[in-house]
This record gives sequence, structure tokens and C-alpha cells, in this order.
Amino acid sequence: MTEPILELRNIRAGYGAIEVLHDLSFAVGRGQVVVLLGPNGAGKSTAIKVVSGLLRPNSGQLIVAGRDVTGARPDALARAGLCTIPEGRGIFPNLTVRENLVMATFTGFKLADVEERAYSRFPRLSERRNQLAGTMSGGEQQMLSLARALATEPAILLLDELSMGLAPKIVAELYEQVASIADDGVSVLVVEQFARTVLGVADWAVVLAHGTVQAAGPASEIGEDVLAGAYLGSSPT
Amino acid sequence: MESEVNDDRIQAFTQEIGELKLRGGRGDRERILLVIGVIALVAGVVLAVLGGFQASGTTDLGDQVAFLATGTFIGLALVVLGTALFIRYSVARFMRFWLVRLVHEHRSETDRVVAALKEVEEKLGR
Ligand SMILES: Nc1ncnc2c1ncn2[C@@H]1O[C@H](COP(=O)(O)OP(=O)(O)OP(=O)(O)O)[C@@H](O)[C@H]1O
Ligand SMILES: [Mg+2]
Repeated sequence: MTEPILELRNIRAGYGAIEVLHDLSFAVGRGQVVVLLGPNGAGKSTAIKVVSGLLRPNSGQLIVAGRDVTGARPDALARAGLCTIPEGRGIFPNLTVRENLVMATFTGFKLADVEERAYSRFPRLSERRNQLAGTMSGGEQQMLSLARALATEPAILLLDELSMGLAPKIVAELYEQVASIADDGVSVLVVEQFARTVLGVADWAVVLAHGTVQAAGPASEIGEDVLAGAYLGSSPT
Repeated sequence: MESEVNDDRIQAFTQEIGELKLRGGRGDRERILLVIGVIALVAGVVLAVLGGFQASGTTDLGDQVAFLATGTFIGLALVVLGTALFIRYSVARFMRFWLVRLVHEHRSETDRVVAALKEVEEKLGR
């Protein structure tokens, strides 16, 4: 792997006195899709918070584009091009599709360009541009959050449980888009609880349990046994 | 597979990351200033009261003025400074919390309206 665009080195982080991530290390290469898998409460979302700068690690380093940016402000990282789609919904349900896209113009892009880019990738959004985002289906809402994220031309995209509450068919569709985004050179870190669909589009997989890496390897080589071990809690340590 | 355009993007990204200012946690500084405000406020009150007592404990006019100057006036200045810091940073904290709360409530309200609309639609459809 060439120099990774994103790397966590021995990250320890948590909330108050409770440490959630114990010595977490992994890396995302340029243009790669890396998936972070793990059961409920493993610390996946916490890892995303550390990467996006929302949560300051107690120790360890966050390296982005070769620079130690531990402790950088989340808005500064976002403006540089590290874009997060949070767990649940990353949209404003009480605004229309178009108004949601207007929110992506904060980085200085023109609304026309943002709309053009969003609608060409997701034609379904174009038909619904004046609909309240909250009244769309779950899959369409996730399309909108993807579209809005892409509008800012991110260099790194962080996705937290894109599949939550969606039918497998829709999830597969969304991940096809993620794969094509990565083909365009965007590095993607995906968090998922269930592996099946996402392993198909990922290059590398990291299995997280109890805040540390249980297993890591090429996504195609992560077997059911490894996942079962992590999810059922039969950890060796 | 990576196109030239994206090489440019990565380069721009690397440059922007390189130029990021890494100031220590802003949240922490806010907290420290808030604590300093409270300490200044308390110290100011104590000084002012002490100065007042010392001044009333002597009949010498020169001493009284000196006590008032070191105690009461510096105390009052500290009180003003402390109060300003306290209000500035506690209100900032509160406003931020309030904003998040507002966004959150707005969201759940929309959800309820949407759910109600769906119900109506279903009933009409049948
Ligand atoms: N804001 C918080 N304050 C305190 N503890 C928290 C907070 N957020 C998460 N935690 C705790 O940290 C642990 C890891 O949470 P995290 O959200 O990272 O898990 P996760 O892997 O994303 O799980 P899920 O698959 O359910 O989203 C959990 O035990 C959780 O209770
Ligand atoms: Mg989570």
C-alpha cells in the first residue's frame, strides 16, 4: 500500500472515565474502501467520531494525508475535505431536497453545480427536489445524504451504518454507488454491523470488538468464522 | 484507475491538511476561562469585604484609603471581570446546547407530522 491517506495509531478514546477504544490502529489507503465491522457497542461510531475530530483521543495519533492532526477541529477537517455521514440521518428532514443541497454550498460550491452533480448520480432525487426530505423513503434519504456529501468533493468519506433500517436490495444499490465513488478516487471508511453486502465492495476489512482490532485483512478473505468469533464474543484475550 | 482530477483533489487536500492550525482543544480553553471567571468573582467579593472591614477597623484616613484601594476597588474590578467571563462562557455553552436541542425537536416534530400524513394517506387509500 502507498502512504495511507488516513491512519489511526494506538488510539485510546472514550467518554469521561470510560474508555471505549483501547489501542485501536488501522489505515485507509488512497482510493480504498475500508470497512469497519463489529457488533453493537464495539466502538465503531466512536472511532468515526475520533477520525472526524469530534472526539479527542486520550492518547494515540490521527494521521491524515501524512500529517498528525490529532486534536484538530472537526469543522476545519471537514472544510479540508474529510466528510462524515453520521449514523441515522445526515439530512434535515424538515427541509426540501433542494434546500438540503443548499446546505452543501457552505464550502463555496455553486448551487447549480451541486444540484447537477447530485441529480446526475441520483436521478430519483431530481424528481423529488421540492419534496420535504423527511417524507422520502429511508433509502432515498440516504441517497440524499450521500449526494450532499459528494457535493462538497470530499477527499475522504466516512459512512456510519448506511444500511440501518433499509431493505437489502436498497443497501446493495447504495453500496454500488459507494463503490463508484471510490472508483473516482475518494477514499472511503465504512462502518457496518452486518458484513454481507459491504464486503463485496470493500478492499480491506477491520473487525472490531470491545474497542480493539480482532482481525483485519483483505475483505474477500474475512471468513464467517472470524466474524462469528467477534460477534459472539469468543475473543482469544 | 485514479484520474488526474482526483490527483489534484488529493494534492489540494494534502495541502489544506498541511495548513491546518492545530490549536489545543478550544473546548478546554473555554472551560478554563469559565473557571477563572468564577475564581475572580469569588476572590473579588472576598477582597472587597475584607477591605471594607479593614477600612472600618481604623480611624486613620490614610489607612482607610489604602485599605479601600487594595481591597474594595481591586475586589470590585475582579468582580466585574469575573462576572463578564462567567456570563460570556456559560451563555456560550448554554446557547450551543439550546441550538442542538432546537434542531432535535424540530426533527422529531417533522417525523410526527410525516407519520400522521402517512396514516391519513393510508386511510384515504382504502
Ligand atoms: N456519548 C456517549 N457517552 C457515553 N458513552 C457512550 C457515548 N456514546 C457511546 N457510548 C458508549 O461507548 C460504547 C461504544 O459505542 P459506539 O456508539 O461507538 O458503538 P457502535 O460500535 O457504533 O455500536 P452500534 O453498532 O450500536 O452503532 C458503548 O458502550 C456506548 O454505550
Ligand atoms: Mg454506531
